[in-house]
Amino acid sequence: MQILIEMKEIIKVFPPNVIAVDNVTADFRKGEIHAIVGENGAGKSTLMKVLYGLEHHNQGEIYLEGQRVNFQDPGEAIAHGIGMVHQEILLIPQYTVWENIVMGAEPVNFFGMIDRQTARQLVQKKIDEFQFNLNIDAKVDDISVAAAQKVEILKLLYRNVSVLILDEPTAVLTPQEIPQLFNELRRLRDLGHTILFISHHLEEVLSLSDRITVMRKGKKIATVQASETNKSDLAHMMVGRNVLFTTLREKKTVGKQIFSIENLTYIDGSQHKGLENINFKVHEREIVGIAGVEGNGQFELVNSIMGLIPTKEGSIRVNDVNLTKADILKRRQYISFVSQNRGKMGAAVKASILENVMMTHHRLNPQFTRWKGLLLNDQYARKFTEQIEQQFSVVMDRMDNPFHSLSGGNQQKVILGRELLLATPFVLLDQPTRGLDVGSIEYVHELILEMRDQNRAILLISADLEELFRIADRILVLHRGKIVADLPTDQTDIEEVGYLMLEGKERSCKEN
Amino acid sequence: MQRKLISGIIGIFIALLIGAIIMLLQGYDPLQTYGALFNFSLFGLFPFATTLRNSVPLILTGLSASVAFASGPINLGQPGQLLMGALFATIGGLYFDLPPWLMIPVLLLLSMLGGALWSGVAAMLRKWFNMDEFITTLMLNMIADFFTFWAISYPFFDRSAYSPMTPQINTKGWLPIWGEFNSNVIVMILAFAVIYFVFNRLTAGYEWRITGHNSLFARLGGVKIDKNYVTVMLVTGALAGLAGGLVVMAGPHRFLKGLGANYAWDGVMIAVVANNGLIGTLLYGLFFSALQTGSLGMELITAVPKEFIMVLQAVIVLVIVAGRGYLDIFLDKTVAKRKARERTT
Repeated sequence: MQILIEMKEIIKVFPPNVIAVDNVTADFRKGEIHAIVGENGAGKSTLMKVLYGLEHHNQGEIYLEGQRVNFQDPGEAIAHGIGMVHQEILLIPQYTVWENIVMGAEPVNFFGMIDRQTARQLVQKKIDEFQFNLNIDAKVDDISVAAAQKVEILKLLYRNVSVLILDEPTAVLTPQEIPQLFNELRRLRDLGHTILFISHHLEEVLSLSDRITVMRKGKKIATVQASETNKSDLAHMMVGRNVLFTTLREKKTVGKQIFSIENLTYIDGSQHKGLENINFKVHEREIVGIAGVEGNGQFELVNSIMGLIPTKEGSIRVNDVNLTKADILKRRQYISFVSQNRGKMGAAVKASILENVMMTHHRLNPQFTRWKGLLLNDQYARKFTEQIEQQFSVVMDRMDNPFHSLSGGNQQKVILGRELLLATPFVLLDQPTRGLDVGSIEYVHELILEMRDQNRAILLISADLEELFRIADRILVLHRGKIVADLPTDQTDIEEVGYLMLEGKERSCKEN
Repeated sequence: MQRKLISGIIGIFIALLIGAIIMLLQGYDPLQTYGALFNFSLFGLFPFATTLRNSVPLILTGLSASVAFASGPINLGQPGQLLMGALFATIGGLYFDLPPWLMIPVLLLLSMLGGALWSGVAAMLRKWFNMDEFITTLMLNMIADFFTFWAISYPFFDRSAYSPMTPQINTKGWLPIWGEFNSNVIVMILAFAVIYFVFNRLTAGYEWRITGHNSLFARLGGVKIDKNYVTVMLVTGALAGLAGGLVVMAGPHRFLKGLGANYAWDGVMIAVVANNGLIGTLLYGLFFSALQTGSLGMELITAVPKEFIMVLQAVIVLVIVAGRGYLDIFLDKTVAKRKARERTT
């Protein structure tokens, strides 16, 4: 097949120094479905945005049918027949399907007004040509997400685009809608269109595409024929190690009870029960994991424990101290907390690394201050930051630099270090590895185990089941604000927990 | 720090250049004009002393805005707080009769109390009714404006005067003048030193700063952000009030109509230009004061009207504020480009 697009040695650095695309060379052929796969942050979207003219590469060349091109903006790319559908639907909900499709390229009549008749006919012709099942007069507000996505694709086809870039198109679809989309994409390919398809769902990719390009950490790992590869090979290339994860759990006897929640119920402003009758305990030397699809009460649970929302029903205790009504500073004497969102809750990114390290310690550790807590002890804080730098092998330039100058992994190390060095019996971890690369994740897991070995009680909230199975001793499943299962990790498996997360109850008849 | 200094100097230089072009377009001689401007503000004992004296209300209201913005609260009530501070100091000066060494500190404290009271109203409105200080402080400016106007027109009106003003305060409350130098500068420097120390060295200042960066992080870290909010409002109100007190005690020694002039808004502008940095506020305050002080002389010598200084100020604000962001982007992009080039070789 003829090569349509060639990207040569593309480098994209996001200022100041995040290398998003690292020397990638790839080619895309006419009339193929070409999948680009990789983990979050692997650079697949950035590579496609470079092609589409939405991002500008720092180095490298792009050839379209042998001609060198360098699109300054998406308009130019579309004029050359390359269009992109973004992950989110970007349509005007109040407008009809045909209005959305022609917008920006409306046929006009003699007086410069939109020629509705012609516009509707043109749109209908395109719909018939590609056999998209759409009502052109429906308001976008009233149609399904899958239909809206079709409108997005039609919008590009209406502009005679022959290369379609789709950024994780299945992320917004229900499982039933996906095969339909795939059929339409296959039909487009058979009509001579080229489809570049970004995804990290390997099964989809294997069933749909002709060729697959795998990216990892900004680099291209390989381009393979879909027919000549399989899921585990792809996963290996994507992650860079065998995905058959090894457990880090060890059989340890747990100690005395540290943390307990009793009968906690949280009802939010709209009378919705965010949490319902939560009861559980965490012991010394125990890691308890909380599994659940996001939005099933994790947020409310964390905020209740930390005191960001008031607890009206139920109680929260650490070491038999009742913290239900305590202020946050009091709680912090007993609870170390790593949040899921570093920039929002875990750090002040514009403040210096030093200032971020001091937080909470400055109130709880008298060595950080003089004059009865009035004056900061700068020397001690600096020594302490150096200690964190060494103990947690943080790569930092100067501790007076802003926190955001650190890489994501190093930011998390600093935060973990700060929280770990608080002398607290209980540690609350809310998705501590979110957005980190594989190496950092492993390091964080080791740290968590280290905390356990220091006789602490650990509550780990995670959306990543692999993570929970790797380190948690017990897994609680949160479903619609209730704990629906409490399972020792060695007596369950990912399948069972996954089912409980989705359905909230045990499978009625267990297979096998 | 160095980057800030460089971008500030470059910004001022570019702004002066743009000002020169505007003057050329209107047929004025820029060199002569700038010469006059700085001759009458910096070179010579009297011009320099006047610049210093005039900088006091600018710097103090600028500090008030800088500390507030950097700590979170959008206190835009400096004009009102300045007027209330001035009124409190005036009333104290009219009725108290103490020896100067006691009188002056008492009046200064009174002016701070007046300012803090006024910002405290906004803080309480926020605490009790969750009203945004961004709106309430602006509204309270209006109220302070009319309230002080009423106060100097009726209860404290000087019956021998033809326009609204109070009688002169007790001379024991006048700030001493040594030669050309007015001692209001010393009060300002003291206030600056105290605020700088509090903001950068004390636990409280650390918590204010972090809250200004990210209040949720501070709250989760155990900082009592509501309490700190009230403290910051009171402190910044007191600073603006002190500016008002000093205006009365250093200058006309009475509260007369239009006393607040545009000091407080200029102060807010200085805080914005200084990006809420304290040292930046001090330096830009001095510079803007030099421009304003020199403008009178400039008008005297050249045909350029003193309103031109407002144009120049506006250009400086735009160039520095826009340039600051651009310089960062530019430097980051340069680093990115270099990194990309390293990758290919």
